[in-house]
Amino acid sequence: MARILEFEKVSKRFGGLLATNEVSFHVDEGEIVFLIGPNGAGKTTVFNLITGYVKPDSGKVRFAGQDITGIEPYQATRLGIGRTFQVVQPLPSLTVRENVMLGTFLHNASRAEAAARADEVLRFMGLEARANQLASGLPLAQRKLLEVARAIGTGARLLLLDEVMAGLNPREGEEVVALIKRLPEFGITSVGGVEHIMRIVMSLASRVVVLDQGKKIAEGPPAEVVHDPKVVEAYLGSKFMAGAAR
Amino acid sequence: MRLLRKQWATAVFFLFLLTFPLWMHDGYILQLVFRVLVFAVLGIAWNFIGGYAGQLSLGHVAYFGIGAYAMTLSTEHLHWNPWLGVILGGILSMVGALIIGSITFRLRGPYFTLSTIAAAEILRVLVQNQDQLTHGAVGTNAPLLFQPPNLDAKFLWGAIPLLAAVMGLAAWIHVSRFGYRLRAIRENEDTAMAVGVNPAREKLAALLPSALFSALAGSLYASSFSFVGPDTVLNIDISVQAALIAMLGGAATVWGPVLGSVVLTLTSEIFKTYFEHTHLVIYGLLLILVVLFIPGGLVSLFEGRRKFRREAGPIGSVQG
Repeated sequence: MARILEFEKVSKRFGGLLATNEVSFHVDEGEIVFLIGPNGAGKTTVFNLITGYVKPDSGKVRFAGQDITGIEPYQATRLGIGRTFQVVQPLPSLTVRENVMLGTFLHNASRAEAAARADEVLRFMGLEARANQLASGLPLAQRKLLEVARAIGTGARLLLLDEVMAGLNPREGEEVVALIKRLPEFGITSVGGVEHIMRIVMSLASRVVVLDQGKKIAEGPPAEVVHDPKVVEAYLGSKFMAGAAR
Repeated sequence: MRLLRKQWATAVFFLFLLTFPLWMHDGYILQLVFRVLVFAVLGIAWNFIGGYAGQLSLGHVAYFGIGAYAMTLSTEHLHWNPWLGVILGGILSMVGALIIGSITFRLRGPYFTLSTIAAAEILRVLVQNQDQLTHGAVGTNAPLLFQPPNLDAKFLWGAIPLLAAVMGLAAWIHVSRFGYRLRAIRENEDTAMAVGVNPAREKLAALLPSALFSALAGSLYASSFSFVGPDTVLNIDISVQAALIAMLGGAATVWGPVLGSVVLTLTSEIFKTYFEHTHLVIYGLLLILVVLFIPGGLVSLFEGRRKFRREAGPIGSVQG
């Protein structure tokens, strides 16, 4: 199976903090890979390193075989990497449709075509009723969906979802899970996610990469990874490890 | 429907302007309207970068001054036709924009604003100190672009096509992909990049026409006064006015700066007559009041129900 994303021994230091320490992982075409780990493990930094918002100190990032290490964020988008932000960043003075049009404008120069494509994405995300509303007026759950819609609109092949489920109630979460499974309809063959809600990770991920304090400590199918002693330790501390061994 | 009404309003507005000098023969009034138009052009040009892209430039007098001085000096030293000098000013202003833009756009927020002021001040000091070439601080006569008689009417007519051109460009930017990208940059550069926008490139692309129209306005303005000097066409007051006019009338709108220029130019004319030096205080107060109470600018008063309509209706959709 073709590698769509390769992250090879990438390190990034912020002052005294080694945010990412020689982390390697990959995403194959058709896979949904989740990064998990405690707060501050470096998950969002990994996404920022892939999309060029943060430049690596060492290591290589490849997308569809092409070296994209240290690329500019807008170039990453143009190559086909879409992303959402952990802290939602809609463009408040634009309408919901116009927000998504910014994505669809990437491959449609005409306003009418961009709007038509945006409407398709909005229907898919269940936001069509909100199309003419200002983005600033949306409740959080829908702003998260809008964030995803905008990324889909760019025509991405790989979508990086940074804590899309956080702050959603369980029912909304289920709806988003269903949508993520249908992303191939929009040409998005592979997904990278950062998520805390294990139930979501278990039901979506084909593979899980566990980070702790900037280092990769485990990798594999979700059902196996959650029983890995190192993962349990990272999440719960060594005290519980002793308990688990007993 | 709404679009049709707008087109009618535009047609009536320009028809009124074109016929105005036919029945109004008071030179003072014609000069006043001319100034309203020139500053409307400057406000719209400023809006490209300051309103749509949200980059608060306070250095636009640099381009205004380049236009005025290029026309004057090429006529004086190279004996060019002044109209050729106007074209030279337009070209030089864009070269200047590329240089100034590629430096100042590295900075964000207040640092960007300060750097634009600095760029314009550097130009002013340079002009002031080149006595041989520019006549220094004293200034010099600017050539006439039109010949008497009826100079006031001719200058007014000369400003109309310029205003029409810059408004046409603004109307295009308002609905085009380019305009949306500029607005994305204004709202959030990180998000803009996440939809494939290269902020540095788009900002420069907006600054070029902004500088061009500022320079053309500067040439016309200087010629109408037959004078250029560092304290007139390179005065920071003009930068402030460009920004004020756009924000007062409505940033990132097509008609806002026109309205802003009418209000600001006329009120400052009145205040200048009655309170010679305090008129600047009144500028400041006016701006504070607008920012506090009508952040969308004066133009938003005419579109009072716009927000509601936006939620319910076709504005912002394909049909609108």
